[in-house]
Amino acid sequence: MTPRQINTDFRCLHCRNYVTTMQAICRVNNRNHCPYCLWSRHLDLYNAGDRLSACKAPMRPLGLAMKPGRNKYAPGGGELMLVHLCMECGRLSLNRIAADDDPQALLEIFDAACSQPPEHFDLLLGRGIHLLDSSSNQLVRAQLL
Amino acid sequence: MNTDHVYDQGVVFCKTIGHYTVRSAAGEFVCVLSSRLRKQLVYPLADPSSLAHIVREVRPIEGVDPVAIGDQVTFFETGNGTGMITEVLPRRTRFSRPATMPGARLFEQVIVANVDQVVPVFATANPAPHWALLDRYLVSAEASGLPAVICITKHDLAAPQAGLEETLSIYHRLGYPVIRVSVVTGEGLTEMGAALQGRLSVLVGKSGVGKSSLLNTLQPGLDLRINAVGKGKLGKGRHTTTHLQMFPLDHGGAVVDTPGMREFGLWDVQQEDLALYFPEMRPLVGRCKFGLDCRHDSEPGCAIRRAVMDGSISPLRYQSLMHLQEAP
Repeated sequence: MTPRQINTDFRCLHCRNYVTTMQAICRVNNRNHCPYCLWSRHLDLYNAGDRLSACKAPMRPLGLAMKPGRNKYAPGGGELMLVHLCMECGRLSLNRIAADDDPQALLEIFDAACSQPPEHFDLLLGRGIHLLDSSSNQLVRAQLL
Repeated sequence: MNTDHVYDQGVVFCKTIGHYTVRSAAGEFVCVLSSRLRKQLVYPLADPSSLAHIVREVRPIEGVDPVAIGDQVTFFETGNGTGMITEVLPRRTRFSRPATMPGARLFEQVIVANVDQVVPVFATANPAPHWALLDRYLVSAEASGLPAVICITKHDLAAPQAGLEETLSIYHRLGYPVIRVSVVTGEGLTEMGAALQGRLSVLVGKSGVGKSSLLNTLQPGLDLRINAVGKGKLGKGRHTTTHLQMFPLDHGGAVVDTPGMREFGLWDVQQEDLALYFPEMRPLVGRCKFGLDCRHDSEPGCAIRRAVMDGSISPLRYQSLMHLQEAP
């Protein structure tokens, strides 16, 4: 993907579905992941949308995490984020969930993450990512459905 | 060649529409072009000496202007300090770009001929440096076989772009001399003067970066027209210099001042050869899994992408390569 193609529509590297990047549809500025299978691509290096990474490998969705919201007094505040792992260089990244992401696919990712052993969560915590586990089941469903 | 005229040779110093100022040992002449230079005469393909010397076709020349600043030309005087250019001598080097002319076909626009070095000029801020444009200048210089000296002006400004020094260090590591100057404090002017001495250099850069201000300071008495950048949020320059002109320097050498260029296309650079004009990528070309067929984009086993990942090539430079591959 060359730099000017970044915000143009693309074909998912994993499921080969055609993905639109129109902001009016997905409501995010930098669309990297597929709304159907939720796989992404390693394009950013320092900041979201900088497109400076040369890796460009597929990124597997690992689970969900919660980004704290600005309003710390709001009940259940924060934004659900998708956690991706680069299949080539092993980099972890947090990505905003887009408006057109399949909620059923998101729940499947969450359920798959919940069935992982505790060591998996500890490993990610060691890399600074607090992956949501089954204790957040209600919160996740409330936000997604 | 008409034997009645007295022919002389000189260098084109200044160019305005239809007129060329040529300096020779006899003085300075404002010349026009011989109509012969504006057209191409086509002879039969067979050995011309074996046939009658008959012109088969007359075509317009394939270029915007057959004469560029720095060209060595043959001309004859037509009186009152005027003359006519009849021949352009072979060029040692050239710095070109595609002409922005309407129509589907691109033409070569030689900015300067017989130039020794290219000096891309960027300001620390107002207008903010555009590193992809710098890479365009550097690639063009590499493709023309010319060395480049990067000049950073307005170094006195209190609020330069974030990460400026970090980015400049990338170019410094690649072997490009980086000179920081300020016409306000006088910083770096001696170093800049030394870099220009004894060579024909061309200053290129966006409007408002301070090319003419720099020349005014390096060569007092030039009185080139300068202007402040716009007060808008973008801080764009105002297109003050409107024509190309060469200025001799007291300490030897000469500098060509150019009007600001917001865009700079590459001329005569093949898309598949682009990586060869990035010095840090050149040794890796051909070492990818797909050899010379690799576009260094998303192909597996790409040596250049691997080098970016392990930190030996700057991601910014790699991104410039990708930009250029898409729109050279």
